[in-house]
Amino acid sequence: MTRARPLGLIWPYLLAAALGYLLGSIAVPASAALGGGSSNTPLARVGFALRDNPEAPQLAAMLDGDLQAVRSSLAVQEREVFDLVVAVRGLDNGGTSDWNRAERICQALTWPRCDREALTQLKVHSVP
Amino acid sequence: MRRTLDKRALGVTALFAAALLLGYARANEPRARFAQAVASLNDADKSALPSAPMLTVANAIWALGSEEAVRKMLRAELDRVPSAEAKARARAFVRFGIIDSNPDGQAAVFFQACVSDPSLCDRGRLIAAAERETQARLVEPGRHLPLYLMSGHPAP
Repeated sequence: MTRARPLGLIWPYLLAAALGYLLGSIAVPASAALGGGSSNTPLARVGFALRDNPEAPQLAAMLDGDLQAVRSSLAVQEREVFDLVVAVRGLDNGGTSDWNRAERICQALTWPRCDREALTQLKVHSVP
Repeated sequence: MRRTLDKRALGVTALFAAALLLGYARANEPRARFAQAVASLNDADKSALPSAPMLTVANAIWALGSEEAVRKMLRAELDRVPSAEAKARARAFVRFGIIDSNPDGQAAVFFQACVSDPSLCDRGRLIAAAERETQARLVEPGRHLPLYLMSGHPAP
């Protein structure tokens, strides 16, 4: 009985804090969708990360959802190539290349060269 | 009693507002950093961002792809890229010319490159553009200048 009263006093505060945080988090994608221009779309954000710029690895952390959105917008035969670029550029890995995955994807594409040296050069030559 | 209730309502509202701001700030941080980075670009670079993923895919196929993959990619590029994007279309034609084994076909395709981007009607510039593309290609065919550009053919 004596413990029920303090809990009864606290729960509105807990509820307010949780609800406020949740709504605040949801507001960001909602406001981006409503107010975003052509330079604030998944395509543009991934495009920015694909450019040769020093901030790309740091920004890559926010790209997970964007990478999926861009991938699904591509034609089927281009998706594997996109996955290969994502792997060599490390866009889903904080900027660190995943050479093993890149090699597997490259071999699945049956491209003439899939060795590390070729993939390292691909990392440079794929920059738009 | 009423004053106590008012105080509680005020406390709950204040906490809700603080949590709302905290949630917004935490979720918005990466997007704010992105917006800040994009703001430093000029208008042309900003407008080119949405096409960068497709361009990257095209560059990757050009660098390492099989001849069949390159031909498919170039056809798709020419279907997709509007004529207003002269440089991009001209580059696709130059790439097509490089992998074309037939000198007559090469002439026709390089002429298309010249139509898309008149600066490439200058033979020296066309050769320079083709050399850049052959250096970006890491597998055969397409690592060498085509016969049409190496021999003494007139400008397209």
